[in-house]
Amino acid sequence: MNELLTESKSIYLQISEMIETDILRGILLEEEQVPSTNELAKRYTINPATAGKGVNLLVDEGILYKKRGIGMFVATGAREKILSKRRTAFVESHLRPLLAEAKSLGLTKSELLNMIEENDL
Amino acid sequence: MKLICEHITKQYKDKLALNDISLTLEQGKIYGLIGRNGAGKTTLLSVLTAQNPATSGSVTLDDMAVWENRSALEHLCFSRELNVSAESGLGSMKVKEYLRTASIYYRDWDSAMAERLVDLFELPVKKRMSKLSKGMLSMVTIIVAMASKAAFTFLDEPVAGLDVVAREQFYKLLIEEYTETGRTFVVSTHIIEEAADVLEEVIILKDGKVLLEADTQALVDSARYISGKAEDVDTVTAGLETHHPEVSGRAKSVTVLLKPGQSLPAGYDVSIQPLNLQKVFLALCGEEERQ
Repeated sequence: MNELLTESKSIYLQISEMIETDILRGILLEEEQVPSTNELAKRYTINPATAGKGVNLLVDEGILYKKRGIGMFVATGAREKILSKRRTAFVESHLRPLLAEAKSLGLTKSELLNMIEENDL
Repeated sequence: MKLICEHITKQYKDKLALNDISLTLEQGKIYGLIGRNGAGKTTLLSVLTAQNPATSGSVTLDDMAVWENRSALEHLCFSRELNVSAESGLGSMKVKEYLRTASIYYRDWDSAMAERLVDLFELPVKKRMSKLSKGMLSMVTIIVAMASKAAFTFLDEPVAGLDVVAREQFYKLLIEEYTETGRTFVVSTHIIEEAADVLEEVIILKDGKVLLEADTQALVDSARYISGKAEDVDTVTAGLETHHPEVSGRAKSVTVLLKPGQSLPAGYDVSIQPLNLQKVFLALCGEEERQ
């Protein structure tokens, strides 16, 4: 969670995405404790209510869970959940804008497919 | 504890500085008070803390009137912007003498914290107040506000004149103190964007009135900047709350505040962009000059 906050998106969403990214990268492991709301607030100089909103979003999705009186932990299976969520979102967040831009530039489908081949996915 | 003001007005000779202001400040929140110069921010803070009488209306802390009431006032700290001149009594005071005076005034004064902050800001305590720069005077007001330990603490332009490092130190300090104690802070500032992430609620003052009181994140999330061909922009924003329209040739841009449940119609070739708090503020308060 050492990324910088940007202005282009709600802060609480950035907080939840940073925690997700840390889980994907193996910085945070399953069944490990995540930083508390207050720690996040201090680290990013944001209101704790905003940090809490980001954390709670992940609790609602079953990616984090709360141990009473101790704190928040990464749920077992969190990594898989995040991957499948991001794969689903990929079409909307990356593919559609890419296709829209390709269309406005007059690129054909086969030209686009060639570019993907050339760039080695 | 709750600090409530109802129907506050403040009439100066030929100016209505505050015009029927009602607010409820709850314990354990950081509020931002923003507005243009002369909007009434400092007057409001001084009335809320009984440093200045209202012309009409009431200010109460848990049903106790605040005015000349020691048991209410000891929970309030208003650290106002210091204006010192060499001739004034304040100007000839040394910084450490000023802090000592504050330590007597505030019942719950935390002298260890005051010392820690003097070190953090590298404040020259042996200097006279009149010899301090604008930024150093701001540091003094911040130290008084923090060390007062008052349940409701009001800071008027605390970052005025501070460099970017000191401003960051201040916001970190504010969050730290807030998370550890749950004190309520009300911060007025002109440097809106830096403060935006710290403020849970924002109160926008305009011409002595509360223009808007909102959850900061919710307000920012509800705002969109729409631009494109004028007729498309008009179609997309029809029936929505719009601010600050600008037209140039065939192009038009406008700021929209979406109410809960509202959304923008899809399928139009317009650009939709998020706004930060400063841009929202400009859209709400920057209108007149342009017309």
